[in-house]
Amino acid sequence: MSAPPIQLEGLVKDFAGVRAVDGVCLTVSPGEVVGLLGPNGAGKTTALRMLAGLITPTSGRALLSGVDVAAQPLVARRSLGFLTASTGLYERLTPRELLRIFGELMGLTAEVLAARIDTLANELELTPFLDRRCGTLSSGQRQRASIARAVVADPAAYVLDEPTAMLDPLASSAILELVQGAKARQKAVLFSTHRMEEAEFLCSRLLFLRAGRVVAEGSPAELLERSQQRSLTGAFLHFARGAA
Amino acid sequence: MSRPVLTLLRKELLDVLRDRRTLLVTLVLPVLLYPGLLALVGAVMATGQQRLARAELVVAVASDDAMAFVSALEPPEHTTWVRLGLDEGLVQLREKKVAAVVDAAPGAFAAIKAGQQGRVQVRYTKKQDRSAEAQRRLQKLFERVGHAALVDRLAASQLPPEFSEPVIFESTDVDFRRDLGPLVASRTLPMILLVMLFMGALYPAVDLTAGEKERGTLETLLVAPVSALDVMTAKYLTVALTATFATLANLAAMGVTFAFGIKVAGAESISMTFSPLQVFTLVVCLVPAAFMAAGLSLAVASLARTFKEGQAMMTPVMLIATLPGIVAVMPGVELNVFTAAIPLLNLGLLVKATVLGAAAPVPVAMVVASVALGSYLSLKMAANAFHSEALRFGGADSWRELFRRRR
Repeated sequence: MSAPPIQLEGLVKDFAGVRAVDGVCLTVSPGEVVGLLGPNGAGKTTALRMLAGLITPTSGRALLSGVDVAAQPLVARRSLGFLTASTGLYERLTPRELLRIFGELMGLTAEVLAARIDTLANELELTPFLDRRCGTLSSGQRQRASIARAVVADPAAYVLDEPTAMLDPLASSAILELVQGAKARQKAVLFSTHRMEEAEFLCSRLLFLRAGRVVAEGSPAELLERSQQRSLTGAFLHFARGAA
Repeated sequence: MSRPVLTLLRKELLDVLRDRRTLLVTLVLPVLLYPGLLALVGAVMATGQQRLARAELVVAVASDDAMAFVSALEPPEHTTWVRLGLDEGLVQLREKKVAAVVDAAPGAFAAIKAGQQGRVQVRYTKKQDRSAEAQRRLQKLFERVGHAALVDRLAASQLPPEFSEPVIFESTDVDFRRDLGPLVASRTLPMILLVMLFMGALYPAVDLTAGEKERGTLETLLVAPVSALDVMTAKYLTVALTATFATLANLAAMGVTFAFGIKVAGAESISMTFSPLQVFTLVVCLVPAAFMAAGLSLAVASLARTFKEGQAMMTPVMLIATLPGIVAVMPGVELNVFTAAIPLLNLGLLVKATVLGAAAPVPVAMVVASVALGSYLSLKMAANAFHSEALRFGGADSWRELFRRRR
């Protein structure tokens, strides 16, 4: 049996004596979409950054396709597509240049990369602006270019850190389509969000973080039942205020 | 060089070379502005001097004796006399209606003719260029009047003209053309090159570190399967290449400017021909110095969270780079085994000594070693900046991370 694409084992992170993430455990299987919810400062971004190898855990492990991210970051990151609210696009480069560079960094050969760029250009409708500098693109176009950059190597694990936080509904739709498409292609998706309707619509499972700890976990229906709320927003407030 | 570093270097160079601000500050400014500015100043000065020499000046003559003096010979070109009282002449001088007032005591002209001495006084003001020019013209005129009187006296005494000048003193600067260029260059190049070296490094360093943090692209890059060291290496090479190019371009542009600027000024042409050994010495020191500036700039810029913050942090760095350049051009400060050990000052003094053809092998070797050590240390600092989580996502409060020893 192959290792799950995303796995967190007792993940802990301390910053100058303050525990930001406290023993988070999680597994995301292929075709599963898991949402990470919680108020600001709950530890969502820190947990995702440890998963991406941007910061090292104080203890515990983050694994991508069974590879310990802290021990073998370069190998582990080959199976990761990471996207944040800030599109992280180089304004002075074109989407095509960006895809080539990140594709090469992911270890794709020239032939595979060329084919992959063609595929992504068709799927995400990048062709009209593929050779325009990113700084001249609309927010929707930028978001699609950013998605293409994140998935250029067709990774097994998608990690999205509040990807729709700064987007209008139209631009957000590209992200929602990305997640649905990834789920259909048996990718493992872990994403954090403050938009409850997104979480309810996309996620098969939700984790609620408070002060670095998982205080609730389950499907949207299970969390509603446990919190005895009618909406996920109500459940969010319920758990954020300290109820477990 | 590994494949990821080459890919990243290509990305960084594309990014930097498409940034108009970087191009302006690091390449256009040194190559065009400074030489252009120097040529412009030379041209303006030359034009001003020529215009002044052709200016029509009115000089007030305040007494009959003064009039007798100025009428004794042909007046200077573009100069006319007007007879005014002394007080009125001074009023008109203040009002810029006349350029100077010339006066002589009663009987002064007759005294000259009688073989005695006559006193002439010119009143002018240095605050007015036209008045200073009038004073120069009057001084030349009265030197001619005095010389003519002397010739008459010698003839009357049946003495030869050589009688009044028993010693002829001549001094000739035989190496004028050869030495002036290096001399002028030694007074300017050390500071300009140090400033340009750092200017060529600072701007791209801020853009590639603090700028990337602010735009969110650094996080994107560090999530790719490349090591932080590879990312830093590509940035380091990019900044160092930019600094090297800016410095060498500036050196070449300044060389052209020296000759061009002096020719515009109408003076003798100043030549500044470097020998292959001089060029080699400068390149051997300046290229590693560009790498040192790159490492230092990247390390300092990595403390900033935003581009603006990064620019503010660079001000003291520029000051540190400029001061040794100023000290280096001071007369009497030379490259020796002691000054060769002082970072940055040694670089300025090496440029100075090289330009003057006075660079001795031992101090030069010491400077090269010192710069190489500086490059290594600055590279370590920059590497620390990229290894440090606190600096990747934090800012200036984590500056101690730059000096942390890592295995």
